[in-house]
Amino acid sequence: MVNGENKELTEQTTLEELIRQLGVRKETVVAEVNRQIIQMDKRPEIKLSDGDQVELIQFVGGG
Amino acid sequence: MTATLNQLMTQDTYQINGKTFTSRLLVGTGKYPTNELMGECLEASGTEIVTVALRRVNLENKGEKTLLDFIDPKKYTLLPNTAGCYSAAEAIRVAHLARATGISDFVKLEVLFDEKTLLPDPIATLEATTILVKEGFTVMTYTSDDPVMAQKLEQAGAHAVMPAGSPIGSGQGVLNPNNIRIILEKLKCPVLIDAGVGSASDVAVAMELGVVAVLLNTAIAHAKDPLKMAYAMKNACEAGRLSFQAGRIPKKLYAQASTPLKDF
Repeated sequence: MVNGENKELTEQTTLEELIRQLGVRKETVVAEVNRQIIQMDKRPEIKLSDGDQVELIQFVGGG
Repeated sequence: MTATLNQLMTQDTYQINGKTFTSRLLVGTGKYPTNELMGECLEASGTEIVTVALRRVNLENKGEKTLLDFIDPKKYTLLPNTAGCYSAAEAIRVAHLARATGISDFVKLEVLFDEKTLLPDPIATLEATTILVKEGFTVMTYTSDDPVMAQKLEQAGAHAVMPAGSPIGSGQGVLNPNNIRIILEKLKCPVLIDAGVGSASDVAVAMELGVVAVLLNTAIAHAKDPLKMAYAMKNACEAGRLSFQAGRIPKKLYAQASTPLKDF
């Protein structure tokens, strides 16, 4: 699940690869896997498995 | 030589958790017609601290420009908010996400109680303030104008206490200046008016009370001409600050002639 949507991924996809595949600019997002924040330099090490909940968050306008 | 306006304004600094600022207007980045206009308004307002929010990336709009394409984090201190959080745990999670960007460890802590009033939940706000301060954040806490709550937040270590002048986005101005006066008398940490101002005169009134700064968003973003309002807010903020420092005359019941009445 990525941001609440089901995504089919090939096996052993890393968080870094997922972010690239989604076309999201990696330097502007914060990533969580199963509610754990993953620092940017750790993303290539994180292999995603079935049922993982990924959240990709970024800054938007707010008051 | 007497000081120029520019000298007076630039020498009049304040600090939040050791970081020094000159502009006393904090401006939000929400609800502008376009991001380009938002960028121009931030510039016009003279602000140094801008509030931002965190939300899920829209996976449908790949590669679209993001907020940070319009705000240079080197130029502005980003103040991520926890708007939309209704529990201490949610607000703490958002603060952690914001800090993970590596851009800012400031947080505008806002834990709401209900959607209609957007009033803060005082108990959850206090709890989250205590935790985030311990975790090393620079915590600027949104609260009601209750002087007791403001003192509790300061005791919990809040780096700034930010009472609402009136409900968020309502544009009603500072409804209870006496509560703000009491808060200012009791607190040593910076006190800012956060929310509720609708016009330049509201900002001036807030600044004349002696608050350190004013935080606003809707009043500029939803003005008919946001850019003009941004300039107006900048000037009103400076006018209010100077007026506070200059010290107003006491109000009197009867007239006092400005022109000498004798020797005519």
